[in-house]
Amino acid sequence: MKISKIIIALFVFQCIILNNITAQSSNPDFMQSIGKIYVVVAVIVTVFLGIIIYLFSLQKKIKQLEDQIKD
Amino acid sequence: MKENWWKIIGIVLMLFALIFGILTPLKPGLPSVFPFNGKAGNPLTVDIQGYNTHFDEAKEQRVWLKLGDYTLGSSKLEATSSNLLRATFLTPAMLPSKDSVVVFSLVTDNEIDGASVMPSAIFVKQSVIDSAGAAQVWPQNSLDNLHQQAGIMFPYRNVLGETIRNLYYHVSLWFAMFIILAVSIFYSIRYLNKGNMLDDHRSNALVSVGVLFGLLGCATGSIWAKHTWGTWWTTDVKLNMTAIFMLIYLAYFVLRGSFQDEIKRARLASVYNIFAFASIIPLLFVIPRLVDSLHPGNGGNPGFGGEDLDNTMRIAFYPAIIGMTLIGLWIADLRYRLAVLADKVLDRI
Repeated sequence: MKISKIIIALFVFQCIILNNITAQSSNPDFMQSIGKIYVVVAVIVTVFLGIIIYLFSLQKKIKQLEDQIKD
Repeated sequence: MKENWWKIIGIVLMLFALIFGILTPLKPGLPSVFPFNGKAGNPLTVDIQGYNTHFDEAKEQRVWLKLGDYTLGSSKLEATSSNLLRATFLTPAMLPSKDSVVVFSLVTDNEIDGASVMPSAIFVKQSVIDSAGAAQVWPQNSLDNLHQQAGIMFPYRNVLGETIRNLYYHVSLWFAMFIILAVSIFYSIRYLNKGNMLDDHRSNALVSVGVLFGLLGCATGSIWAKHTWGTWWTTDVKLNMTAIFMLIYLAYFVLRGSFQDEIKRARLASVYNIFAFASIIPLLFVIPRLVDSLHPGNGGNPGFGGEDLDNTMRIAFYPAIIGMTLIGLWIADLRYRLAVLADKVLDRI
């Protein structure tokens, strides 16, 4: 339960970092550099984190069932 | 291990799409040219910016201004680096067109990079309009002795650049989502026919993975749009229709959650699922094609078809679709098995 919250926080954090890097840092063209390859990296990271978040929610359901069996 | 073969295939295909999709280089291209305007009759010197090009190593570098069949070769070429080329054109005072401002394409060719084209690259203004006279002066050349680029490379497109690789990680998500939702429809119909509770569990698990892929597709599309269209979300028809259809599917979970009675819930959810899937077809496949849209594959913007989706991209694109689908089916399978287990255990207690 806690871990899924951490992962969601990481996801939001990643979005904020990406936004900050593009908007404020000394190199505003980071996402535009090397033919915009970092956009591809951001997309792959998003898909990976999305699937991980889903798996944690699945784990939560399994945990609930386990607790019910114990009672 | 025997029942895991399709999961392994899914992982291998996805790994292949990741590795091949990232490591294959892009073809050389021409991102920009400066200045992009000039006057007919004056010498025109432009700096051509290249991407993945080898201007300084090439021995047979050639550059043309092109308008239809009329081509004008450069009189002087100077490569300052592998990606920067300065070309000078001696334009005649009359241009082979009846317009006062004529838009030329820029064509470069050398033996290492092959030929690259930048459409609508340079605007040339003419003060005297005499297209018949210009036709005599301007050389005609169909440019059929260009070099071919050898090797496996993805096409270069302006604005897109390297993000053309997102085809394997964004578009394949949507394809996988359609396949997974279509399979869930199959189980919904089978539930309504036979009344087997297991089919309802299967259909529910598949819809939840389908919606996950849809949400991820929206998120990744949004990131891609930010760096190519310039904004996270536009009022584009395709995007808004996607938002509507995501809401329709989110209502599916609300509907399921609002019933205590299992049979009632399963029946209504199955019927709703069929109607929700039926709504995808007009929302995502019909309406966006009827109006103008920024999104590739829609009205006035064929995008990743024909030349854009060339055969080297298909090598990674189709495995990515199949791999994504199989991984989605795997996750749905885990969810389904959990639901069945919960049913069995809780009934016994």
